[in-house]
Amino acid sequence: MLNRADKSAGFAIGAALVLFFIGGTLTTVIPPLVDKSWGRPFENHDPSKGPTGKLRPYTELEKHGLAIYTREGCWYCHTQQTRTLVADTKRSGWRGVDSPISTPDEFVYDQPHMFGTKRTGPDLSRVGGKYNTQWHRTHFRNPRDLTPGSVMPPFPWIANDEGEFQALLAYIQRLGRAKDWRPDGDYEQ
Amino acid sequence: MPEGRVAPVGAAAGQTAQQGLHTDTTAKWFLLSSIAYFFIVGIVALTIAAKFVWPELLGTVPYLTYGRLRPLHVNGMLFGWLLPCDMAMVYFIVPRLCGVKLWSEKLGVATAALWNVIVLGAVVMLPAGLNKGLEYAELPTSLSVLVVIAWIMFGINIFGTILTRKYEQMYVSIWYIMGTILWTAFVYLTGNFATQFTTGVNQANLNWMYVHNAVGLIFTPVGLAVAYYFIPRASTQPLYNHRLSMVGFWSLSFVYVWTGAHHMLHGPISQWLQTIAIAFSLMLLIPVWAVVWNFFGTMKGQWHQLRDNVPLKFLMSGTVFYLLTCFQGPMHSLRTVNAIVSKTDWIPGHAHMALLGCFSFFAIAGAYYVAPRLWRTELHSDALANWSFWFFMIGGLGFFVTLWLGGFWQGWQWNNPAIPFIDTVKALHPVWLVRFCSGVLMFCGIVSFAYNIMATVVNRREEHA
Repeated sequence: MLNRADKSAGFAIGAALVLFFIGGTLTTVIPPLVDKSWGRPFENHDPSKGPTGKLRPYTELEKHGLAIYTREGCWYCHTQQTRTLVADTKRSGWRGVDSPISTPDEFVYDQPHMFGTKRTGPDLSRVGGKYNTQWHRTHFRNPRDLTPGSVMPPFPWIANDEGEFQALLAYIQRLGRAKDWRPDGDYEQ
Repeated sequence: MPEGRVAPVGAAAGQTAQQGLHTDTTAKWFLLSSIAYFFIVGIVALTIAAKFVWPELLGTVPYLTYGRLRPLHVNGMLFGWLLPCDMAMVYFIVPRLCGVKLWSEKLGVATAALWNVIVLGAVVMLPAGLNKGLEYAELPTSLSVLVVIAWIMFGINIFGTILTRKYEQMYVSIWYIMGTILWTAFVYLTGNFATQFTTGVNQANLNWMYVHNAVGLIFTPVGLAVAYYFIPRASTQPLYNHRLSMVGFWSLSFVYVWTGAHHMLHGPISQWLQTIAIAFSLMLLIPVWAVVWNFFGTMKGQWHQLRDNVPLKFLMSGTVFYLLTCFQGPMHSLRTVNAIVSKTDWIPGHAHMALLGCFSFFAIAGAYYVAPRLWRTELHSDALANWSFWFFMIGGLGFFVTLWLGGFWQGWQWNNPAIPFIDTVKALHPVWLVRFCSGVLMFCGIVSFAYNIMATVVNRREEHA
């Protein structure tokens, strides 16, 4: 049979595509049909089942913020996933409280998704509410003023543009907040 | 000739007999454009490496900020340099293996022109911050549509040539080229268009299917097609074993597409899908080892040729890097290893070994081999070509090894939450400096390679090379 593919282009093409489509279909089309949590927004009101809260759609301002985040390629250096690793839950945690693990239902409205593949800067999956407005403004102007040793680029054109800054801030402060994970709701504004 | 050994079809007819047949205009245009972009994007690559060492560098210019230059670096190298260079090789190889002229040189030249529009469009649009926000699929939708059109033009031309071929038996390279053209069509549509209709984890899953297969089902098969053609050609040895090439090809076409989810191990994606991705990632060893065994077998008793055959040097070190990078890949997908190396600087070390160390080495070898034949002259300077090899080799090894060590150390530190994150950043400062210096060496490689080819084209053979 293999020898046939040597001589007939049509047979070779057909076989190569069939083999490709088996894996292609089973790993891209089927999973969202099997695992409903990929498409159903997070909602939980029962504290015995973990953090409570509800994922709400993006506001116009947050959408604008996500567009800026995308435009500047923030996701090349900041992941947005607290993985199933103890270290991740500690590092995404804050003031002694561990972060809950990221679940698919927290990202249902993300377009584009911002999971990221490289962690040059810290993970931002639970950054919402950790730092206040003034901190972010100073940090975007020059990250090294607040964090010596950081290699994040400065973003003066965002820090100096109130409209862009507020939009990006709204987006950042939203991250990871669908799960209301802080013990006393001690989020910064 | 031991049983099972095959020469690239058409070799028997002798190269000289075919010499008058091919005009190769398309191959020439693709080759020259790709080398020009290799140089231009090389500058971008150096710039972003420098930004890790001097974060304020060009920091007040929005168009030149890291987050906008990085997609230009990645897309520029993939779709500006490597893919068009591989396409030039395909336009060179396919008519020769089929014993006929390219189906349409006019269509080919039009494809080359369109391809340049796409890359120049990317050079303007990506720094302007216009991007889809999806890895490897950053090109704005307008450009992605042009890519699809160019790919169809490419496909028609190559399939047109294959269907009118004179030799019935198709050499391995032709299977890989046909596979590349077809798989790419679906992989590219998934990554650039299907992703636009999905969100969240579903989109990420499609995105990583594309990212993984952009390498696995675009650059791997076309790169192997190039290597399968040029290793026997450059060494004038028949291919070691035909059956082994079949094992390699058919296992690749089945196994590769399953593994996208290994980019999200431990992440918010279904555990069963992660496990499937891990299982199939381990199976990737089959197509890889089959290919590498075949290449090494071809060189049996011929290793002395490496001493002064520059294309062969690139091809065989590319093969070694292929073996290494494709050993790393499956190992990264093991959960325990992944917990350390994932998201660290190890990963760019791994990715550069695949796309620079392996597939760019194959493409460079091809360029050195075909340029004198395309322009009916001799290579400008063999000595300079040898220099370019050592620049790439030392720069590349410096880059890979430093990032592996640094990345492993970084991952180890991350797994100890007592270490503040910023300290893990500071720990990498020296690593990034060495990476920049290695980048300078690699850039010297690009310059000497590009100069050598350009000088060959304008026909200045250096005597006493």
